[in-house]
Amino acid sequence: MAGAIKKTTGLTGLAVAKHPHHTLGVLYGKILRTLQKMPEEAAYRKYTEEIICERAEVLKRNSSVEGVEKQIKCGQVEELIVQAENELILARKMLTWKPWEPLLKEAPANQWVWPPAKPPKTG
Amino acid sequence: MASLLRQLARTVRPSLVRNGVCSTSVLYKHTESTEAPGETRPTVRKPDLLARSQLKDFGKYVAECLPKYIQKVQITAGDELELLIVPEGVLPVLQFLKDHHNAQFANITDITALDVPSREYRFELVYNLLSLRFNSRIRVKTYTDELTPIDSACDIYKGANWYEREVWDMYGVFFANHPDLRRILTDYGFEGHPQRKDFPLSGYVEVRYDDEKKRVVVEPLELAQEFRRFELSAPWEQFPNFRNAPPAAEEIKVEEKK
Repeated sequence: MAGAIKKTTGLTGLAVAKHPHHTLGVLYGKILRTLQKMPEEAAYRKYTEEIICERAEVLKRNSSVEGVEKQIKCGQVEELIVQAENELILARKMLTWKPWEPLLKEAPANQWVWPPAKPPKTG
Repeated sequence: MASLLRQLARTVRPSLVRNGVCSTSVLYKHTESTEAPGETRPTVRKPDLLARSQLKDFGKYVAECLPKYIQKVQITAGDELELLIVPEGVLPVLQFLKDHHNAQFANITDITALDVPSREYRFELVYNLLSLRFNSRIRVKTYTDELTPIDSACDIYKGANWYEREVWDMYGVFFANHPDLRRILTDYGFEGHPQRKDFPLSGYVEVRYDDEKKRVVVEPLELAQEFRRFELSAPWEQFPNFRNAPPAAEEIKVEEKK
Protein backbone atom coordinates (compact mmCIF):
# COMPACT_ATOMS: atom_id res chain seq x y z
CA MET A 1 0.00 0.00 0.00
CA ALA A 2 3.02 2.24 -0.39
CA GLY A 3 1.51 3.66 -3.55
CA ALA A 4 -1.48 4.95 -1.62
CA ILE A 5 0.76 6.78 0.87
CA LYS A 6 3.33 8.07 -1.58
CA LYS A 7 2.09 11.26 -3.18
CA THR A 8 5.00 12.15 -5.46
CA THR A 9 8.44 11.03 -6.54
CA GLY A 10 9.79 14.56 -6.26
CA LEU A 11 11.07 14.33 -9.83
CA THR A 12 9.47 16.38 -12.59
CA GLY A 13 7.53 14.31 -15.09
CA LEU A 14 7.87 11.06 -13.15
CA ALA A 15 4.54 9.91 -11.74
CA VAL A 16 4.18 7.50 -8.83
CA ALA A 17 3.97 3.92 -10.10
CA LYS A 18 0.66 2.17 -9.34
CA HIS A 19 1.88 -1.43 -9.43
CA PRO A 20 5.67 -1.25 -9.29
CA HIS A 21 6.24 -4.93 -8.55
CA HIS A 22 4.16 -6.10 -11.47
CA THR A 23 5.62 -3.55 -13.92
CA LEU A 24 9.20 -4.29 -12.95
CA GLY A 25 8.64 -8.04 -13.08
CA VAL A 26 7.19 -7.84 -16.59
CA LEU A 27 10.01 -5.59 -17.80
CA TYR A 28 12.74 -7.82 -16.38
CA GLY A 29 11.10 -10.84 -18.00
CA LYS A 30 11.01 -9.07 -21.36
CA ILE A 31 14.67 -8.05 -21.09
CA LEU A 32 15.74 -11.58 -20.23
CA ARG A 33 13.77 -13.00 -23.16
CA THR A 34 15.40 -10.49 -25.51
CA LEU A 35 18.83 -11.41 -24.16
CA GLN A 36 18.12 -15.09 -24.87
CA LYS A 37 18.34 -14.34 -28.59
CA MET A 38 21.95 -13.16 -28.31
CA PRO A 39 24.89 -15.56 -28.56
CA GLU A 40 25.95 -17.17 -25.27
CA GLU A 41 29.45 -15.72 -25.17
CA ALA A 42 28.43 -12.09 -25.80
CA ALA A 43 29.77 -9.96 -22.95
CA TYR A 44 26.81 -7.62 -23.13
CA ARG A 45 24.38 -10.52 -22.62
CA LYS A 46 26.45 -11.95 -19.77
CA TYR A 47 26.70 -8.72 -17.78
CA THR A 48 23.14 -7.59 -18.40
CA GLU A 49 21.73 -10.96 -17.41
CA GLU A 50 23.76 -10.73 -14.22
CA ILE A 51 22.33 -7.32 -13.34
CA ILE A 52 18.76 -8.19 -14.26
CA CYS A 53 18.77 -11.54 -12.45
CA GLU A 54 20.12 -9.87 -9.33
CA ARG A 55 17.44 -7.20 -9.41
CA ALA A 56 14.69 -9.68 -10.17
CA GLU A 57 15.84 -11.76 -7.21
CA VAL A 58 15.67 -8.73 -4.90
CA LEU A 59 12.23 -7.94 -6.30
CA LYS A 60 11.05 -11.46 -5.54
CA ARG A 61 12.42 -11.47 -1.99
CA ASN A 62 10.92 -8.12 -0.93
CA SER A 63 7.21 -7.50 -0.87
CA SER A 64 7.59 -3.86 0.18
CA VAL A 65 8.69 -1.11 -2.19
CA GLU A 66 11.05 0.38 0.39
CA GLY A 67 12.89 -2.91 0.74
CA VAL A 68 13.41 -3.15 -3.01
CA GLU A 69 14.68 0.42 -3.23
CA LYS A 70 17.02 -0.03 -0.30
CA GLN A 71 18.54 -3.27 -1.57
CA ILE A 72 18.97 -2.31 -5.23
CA LYS A 73 20.31 1.12 -4.22
CA CYS A 74 19.74 2.76 -7.58
CA GLY A 75 17.01 5.30 -6.83
CA GLN A 76 13.25 5.11 -6.31
CA VAL A 77 11.23 2.31 -7.79
CA GLU A 78 9.89 4.63 -10.52
CA GLU A 79 13.47 5.32 -11.57
CA LEU A 80 14.16 1.59 -11.59
CA ILE A 81 11.25 1.18 -13.99
CA VAL A 82 12.68 3.86 -16.29
CA GLN A 83 16.07 2.15 -16.21
CA ALA A 84 14.51 -1.19 -17.08
CA GLU A 85 12.56 0.37 -19.96
CA ASN A 86 15.77 1.92 -21.31
CA GLU A 87 17.63 -1.38 -21.02
CA LEU A 88 14.82 -3.16 -22.88
CA ILE A 89 14.99 -0.66 -25.77
CA LEU A 90 18.77 -0.96 -25.82
CA ALA A 91 18.70 -4.78 -25.80
CA ARG A 92 16.27 -4.84 -28.73
CA LYS A 93 18.46 -2.44 -30.70
CA MET A 94 21.55 -4.47 -29.84
CA LEU A 95 20.00 -7.43 -31.66
CA THR A 96 20.24 -5.51 -34.93
CA TRP A 97 23.61 -3.90 -34.19
CA LYS A 98 25.36 -7.09 -33.02
CA PRO A 99 28.13 -5.34 -31.10
CA TRP A 100 29.74 -8.64 -30.00
CA GLU A 101 31.25 -9.13 -33.47
CA PRO A 102 34.96 -8.38 -34.00
CA LEU A 103 36.17 -4.83 -34.63
CA LEU A 104 34.82 -3.31 -37.87
CA LYS A 105 38.08 -1.66 -38.89
CA GLU A 106 41.26 -0.38 -37.34
CA ALA A 107 41.90 3.36 -37.27
CA PRO A 108 44.34 4.62 -39.90
CA ALA A 109 47.87 5.02 -38.58
CA ASN A 110 48.45 8.33 -36.81
CA GLN A 111 44.70 8.92 -36.40
CA TRP A 112 44.85 8.91 -32.62
CA VAL A 113 48.38 10.27 -32.26
CA TRP A 114 48.74 13.49 -30.29
CA PRO A 115 50.53 15.84 -30.92
CA PRO A 116 49.68 15.19 -34.59
CA ALA A 117 52.32 13.39 -36.59
CA LYS A 118 53.98 15.42 -39.32
CA PRO A 119 52.91 14.44 -42.86
CA PRO A 120 55.64 12.74 -44.90
CA LYS A 121 57.52 15.33 -46.94
CA THR A 122 57.06 15.08 -50.71
CA GLY A 123 59.80 16.27 -53.06
CA MET B 1 73.71 1.67 20.95
CA ALA B 2 70.73 1.37 23.31
CA SER B 3 71.96 4.19 25.50
CA LEU B 4 72.39 6.37 22.48
CA LEU B 5 68.78 5.75 21.46
CA ARG B 6 67.54 6.50 24.98
CA GLN B 7 69.40 9.76 24.93
CA LEU B 8 67.84 10.70 21.61
CA ALA B 9 64.36 9.89 22.88
CA ARG B 10 64.92 12.06 25.94
CA THR B 11 65.83 15.04 23.79
CA VAL B 12 63.00 14.56 21.31
CA ARG B 13 60.10 13.91 23.71
CA PRO B 14 59.97 17.29 25.53
CA SER B 15 59.86 19.17 22.27
CA LEU B 16 56.90 17.13 21.06
CA VAL B 17 55.01 17.56 24.30
CA ARG B 18 55.69 21.27 24.40
CA ASN B 19 54.48 21.85 20.90
CA GLY B 20 51.28 19.88 20.27
CA VAL B 21 50.56 21.59 16.98
CA CYS B 22 53.89 20.55 15.60
CA SER B 23 53.33 16.88 16.37
CA THR B 24 49.88 16.83 14.74
CA SER B 25 51.15 18.56 11.63
CA VAL B 26 53.89 15.98 11.33
CA LEU B 27 51.29 13.24 11.67
CA TYR B 28 49.09 14.89 9.01
CA LYS B 29 51.93 15.20 6.57
CA HIS B 30 52.78 11.57 7.06
CA THR B 31 49.28 10.28 6.24
CA GLU B 32 49.11 12.50 3.17
CA SER B 33 52.33 11.18 1.76
CA THR B 34 51.05 7.60 1.96
CA GLU B 35 47.96 8.52 -0.03
CA ALA B 36 49.70 10.14 -2.97
CA PRO B 37 53.19 8.87 -3.58
CA GLY B 38 55.35 10.87 -5.91
CA GLU B 39 53.48 14.16 -5.91
CA THR B 40 54.74 16.56 -3.24
CA ARG B 41 54.25 19.97 -4.84
CA PRO B 42 51.44 21.80 -3.01
CA THR B 43 50.01 23.49 -6.11
CA VAL B 44 49.73 20.34 -8.18
CA ARG B 45 46.63 18.18 -7.95
CA LYS B 46 47.26 14.80 -6.33
CA PRO B 47 46.34 11.81 -8.45
CA ASP B 48 43.23 10.02 -7.22
CA LEU B 49 44.23 6.39 -7.65
CA LEU B 50 40.87 4.94 -6.61
CA ALA B 51 38.85 6.98 -9.11
CA ARG B 52 41.44 6.16 -11.72
CA SER B 53 41.20 2.42 -11.24
CA GLN B 54 37.41 2.62 -11.34
CA LEU B 55 37.58 4.50 -14.64
CA LYS B 56 39.97 1.90 -15.98
CA ASP B 57 37.63 -0.91 -15.02
CA PHE B 58 34.69 0.86 -16.61
CA GLY B 59 36.67 1.44 -19.80
CA LYS B 60 37.50 -2.25 -20.00
CA TYR B 61 33.87 -3.14 -19.30
CA VAL B 62 32.58 -1.00 -22.18
CA ALA B 63 35.27 -2.30 -24.53
CA GLU B 64 34.33 -5.86 -23.66
CA CYS B 65 30.63 -5.21 -24.23
CA LEU B 66 31.10 -3.44 -27.58
CA PRO B 67 34.20 -4.97 -29.21
CA LYS B 68 32.80 -4.22 -32.67
CA TYR B 69 33.08 -0.47 -32.30
CA ILE B 70 35.77 0.43 -29.79
CA GLN B 71 39.26 0.86 -31.19
CA LYS B 72 41.02 2.16 -28.14
CA VAL B 73 40.37 3.14 -24.54
CA GLN B 74 42.55 5.72 -22.85
CA ILE B 75 42.78 7.95 -19.81
CA THR B 76 43.91 11.53 -20.35
CA ALA B 77 44.84 14.24 -17.86
CA GLY B 78 44.95 11.70 -15.05
CA ASP B 79 41.23 11.03 -14.63
CA GLU B 80 39.34 11.51 -17.89
CA LEU B 81 38.16 8.38 -19.62
CA GLU B 82 38.07 8.42 -23.43
CA LEU B 83 36.61 5.88 -25.82
CA LEU B 84 37.96 6.04 -29.37
CA ILE B 85 35.45 4.43 -31.71
CA VAL B 86 34.86 3.71 -35.40
CA PRO B 87 32.64 6.30 -37.16
CA GLU B 88 29.88 3.74 -37.80
CA GLY B 89 29.57 3.05 -34.09
CA VAL B 90 28.47 6.46 -32.88
CA LEU B 91 24.82 5.51 -32.37
CA PRO B 92 25.36 2.09 -30.72
CA VAL B 93 28.02 3.40 -28.35
CA LEU B 94 26.02 6.46 -27.32
CA GLN B 95 22.86 4.39 -26.92
CA PHE B 96 24.73 1.88 -24.79
CA LEU B 97 26.23 4.58 -22.60
CA LYS B 98 22.84 6.21 -22.15
CA ASP B 99 20.62 3.21 -21.52
CA HIS B 100 22.77 0.54 -19.92
CA HIS B 101 22.19 -0.03 -16.21
CA ASN B 102 25.84 0.38 -15.31
CA ALA B 103 26.43 3.51 -17.41
CA GLN B 104 23.37 5.80 -17.47
CA PHE B 105 25.14 8.73 -19.11
CA ALA B 106 21.81 10.47 -19.65
CA ASN B 107 23.15 13.98 -20.32
CA ILE B 108 25.10 15.20 -23.29
CA THR B 109 27.24 18.13 -22.21
CA ASP B 110 28.97 18.92 -25.48
CA ILE B 111 29.72 17.86 -29.02
CA THR B 112 32.71 19.43 -30.66
CA ALA B 113 35.28 18.71 -33.33
CA LEU B 114 38.86 19.46 -34.18
CA ASP B 115 40.59 19.81 -37.50
CA VAL B 116 43.96 18.18 -38.17
CA PRO B 117 44.59 18.54 -41.93
CA SER B 118 47.60 16.22 -41.97
CA ARG B 119 45.49 13.18 -41.09
CA GLU B 120 43.71 10.91 -43.52
CA TYR B 121 40.41 11.68 -41.78
CA ARG B 122 40.97 15.29 -40.89
CA PHE B 123 38.10 15.89 -38.46
CA GLU B 124 37.94 14.44 -34.99
CA LEU B 125 34.50 14.47 -33.35
CA VAL B 126 34.26 14.62 -29.58
CA TYR B 127 31.15 13.78 -27.51
CA ASN B 128 31.19 14.66 -23.81
CA LEU B 129 28.68 12.79 -21.65
CA LEU B 130 27.65 13.11 -18.01
CA SER B 131 26.07 10.53 -15.74
CA LEU B 132 24.18 12.11 -12.86
CA ARG B 133 23.44 8.70 -11.36
CA PHE B 134 27.08 7.71 -10.94
CA ASN B 135 28.52 11.25 -10.86
CA SER B 136 30.97 10.63 -13.65
CA ARG B 137 31.89 11.85 -17.09
CA ILE B 138 33.08 10.17 -20.24
CA ARG B 139 34.33 11.31 -23.62
CA VAL B 140 33.67 9.52 -26.91
CA LYS B 141 35.82 10.34 -29.91
CA THR B 142 35.51 9.40 -33.54
CA TYR B 143 36.77 10.67 -36.88
CA THR B 144 35.52 11.68 -40.32
CA ASP B 145 36.44 13.79 -43.36
CA GLU B 146 34.62 16.42 -45.43
CA LEU B 147 32.55 13.92 -47.42
CA THR B 148 31.79 11.09 -45.01
CA PRO B 149 28.53 11.66 -43.13
CA ILE B 150 28.25 10.79 -39.45
CA ASP B 151 24.98 9.51 -37.98
CA SER B 152 23.18 12.20 -36.05
CA ALA B 153 22.73 11.56 -32.31
CA CYS B 154 19.51 13.60 -32.16
CA ASP B 155 17.31 10.53 -31.72
CA ILE B 156 19.26 9.52 -28.63
CA TYR B 157 20.03 12.91 -27.09
CA LYS B 158 17.62 15.76 -27.80
CA GLY B 159 20.33 18.21 -26.78
CA ALA B 160 22.59 17.05 -29.59
CA ASN B 161 20.55 19.03 -32.14
CA TRP B 162 22.18 22.42 -31.73
CA TYR B 163 25.63 21.01 -30.98
CA GLU B 164 25.58 19.18 -34.29
CA ARG B 165 24.42 22.29 -36.08
CA GLU B 166 27.34 24.10 -34.51
CA VAL B 167 29.82 21.47 -35.66
CA TRP B 168 28.27 21.58 -39.14
CA ASP B 169 28.57 25.36 -39.22
CA MET B 170 32.12 25.58 -37.91
CA TYR B 171 33.71 22.52 -39.53
CA GLY B 172 31.38 21.33 -42.27
CA VAL B 173 30.96 17.83 -40.88
CA PHE B 174 27.74 16.42 -42.35
CA PHE B 175 25.33 14.67 -39.98
CA ALA B 176 23.03 12.15 -41.61
CA ASN B 177 19.38 12.08 -40.48
CA HIS B 178 19.63 15.36 -38.63
CA PRO B 179 16.15 16.95 -38.43
CA ASP B 180 17.27 20.51 -39.10
CA LEU B 181 20.88 20.88 -40.23
CA ARG B 182 21.38 24.64 -40.77
CA ARG B 183 23.97 27.26 -39.90
CA ILE B 184 23.68 28.35 -36.28
CA LEU B 185 26.46 30.82 -35.44
CA THR B 186 27.49 32.54 -38.68
CA ASP B 187 25.66 35.35 -40.48
CA TYR B 188 22.99 35.02 -43.17
CA GLY B 189 24.48 34.05 -46.50
CA PHE B 190 27.82 33.13 -44.96
CA GLU B 191 29.95 30.76 -46.97
CA GLY B 192 32.66 28.47 -45.69
CA HIS B 193 33.38 26.87 -42.34
CA PRO B 194 35.39 29.23 -40.14
CA GLN B 195 37.02 26.76 -37.76
CA ARG B 196 38.74 24.81 -40.52
CA LYS B 197 42.48 25.23 -40.55
CA ASP B 198 42.44 26.31 -44.21
CA PHE B 199 39.94 29.13 -43.59
CA PRO B 200 41.82 32.46 -43.76
CA LEU B 201 41.89 34.60 -40.64
CA SER B 202 40.36 37.57 -42.50
CA GLY B 203 37.61 35.56 -44.21
CA TYR B 204 36.79 35.66 -47.91
CA VAL B 205 34.46 38.68 -48.13
CA GLU B 206 34.18 42.11 -46.55
CA VAL B 207 31.06 44.12 -45.79
CA ARG B 208 30.93 47.92 -46.16
CA TYR B 209 28.44 50.73 -46.71
CA ASP B 210 28.41 52.02 -50.29
CA ASP B 211 27.57 55.77 -50.58
CA GLU B 212 26.52 55.63 -54.23
CA LYS B 213 24.28 52.60 -53.92
CA LYS B 214 23.05 53.74 -50.47
CA ARG B 215 23.23 50.26 -49.03
CA VAL B 216 25.57 47.75 -47.45
CA VAL B 217 27.51 45.76 -50.02
CA VAL B 218 29.40 42.50 -49.69
CA GLU B 219 32.59 42.32 -51.72
CA PRO B 220 35.40 39.86 -52.12
CA LEU B 221 38.16 40.75 -49.73
CA GLU B 222 40.99 42.95 -50.98
CA LEU B 223 44.07 42.63 -48.84
CA ALA B 224 45.61 46.04 -48.26
CA GLN B 225 48.92 44.37 -47.72
CA GLU B 226 50.60 41.81 -49.89
CA PHE B 227 50.29 38.27 -48.64
CA ARG B 228 53.14 37.44 -46.37
CA ARG B 229 54.23 34.15 -45.03
CA PHE B 230 53.99 34.34 -41.27
CA GLU B 231 56.40 31.98 -39.59
CA LEU B 232 55.04 31.60 -36.10
CA SER B 233 57.31 28.92 -34.71
CA ALA B 234 60.08 30.23 -32.52
CA PRO B 235 63.70 29.14 -32.97
CA TRP B 236 64.09 28.21 -29.31
CA GLU B 237 62.52 25.36 -27.44
CA GLN B 238 59.08 26.25 -26.09
CA PHE B 239 58.71 24.21 -22.91
CA PRO B 240 62.09 22.90 -21.79
CA ASN B 241 60.74 21.95 -18.37
CA PHE B 242 58.35 19.48 -19.98
CA ARG B 243 60.88 17.82 -22.24
CA ASN B 244 60.57 14.58 -20.31
CA ALA B 245 56.91 14.94 -19.36
CA PRO B 246 54.87 11.74 -19.59
CA PRO B 247 52.52 11.50 -22.60
CA ALA B 248 49.12 13.12 -22.15
CA ALA B 249 47.14 9.97 -22.69
CA GLU B 250 47.58 6.56 -21.14
CA GLU B 251 46.17 3.66 -23.08
CA ILE B 252 44.20 0.97 -21.29
CA LYS B 253 44.96 -2.44 -22.71
CA VAL B 254 41.88 -4.47 -23.52
CA GLU B 255 42.31 -8.23 -23.60
CA GLU B 256 41.53 -9.68 -27.01
CA LYS B 257 38.95 -12.44 -26.98
CA LYS B 258 39.88 -15.52 -28.96
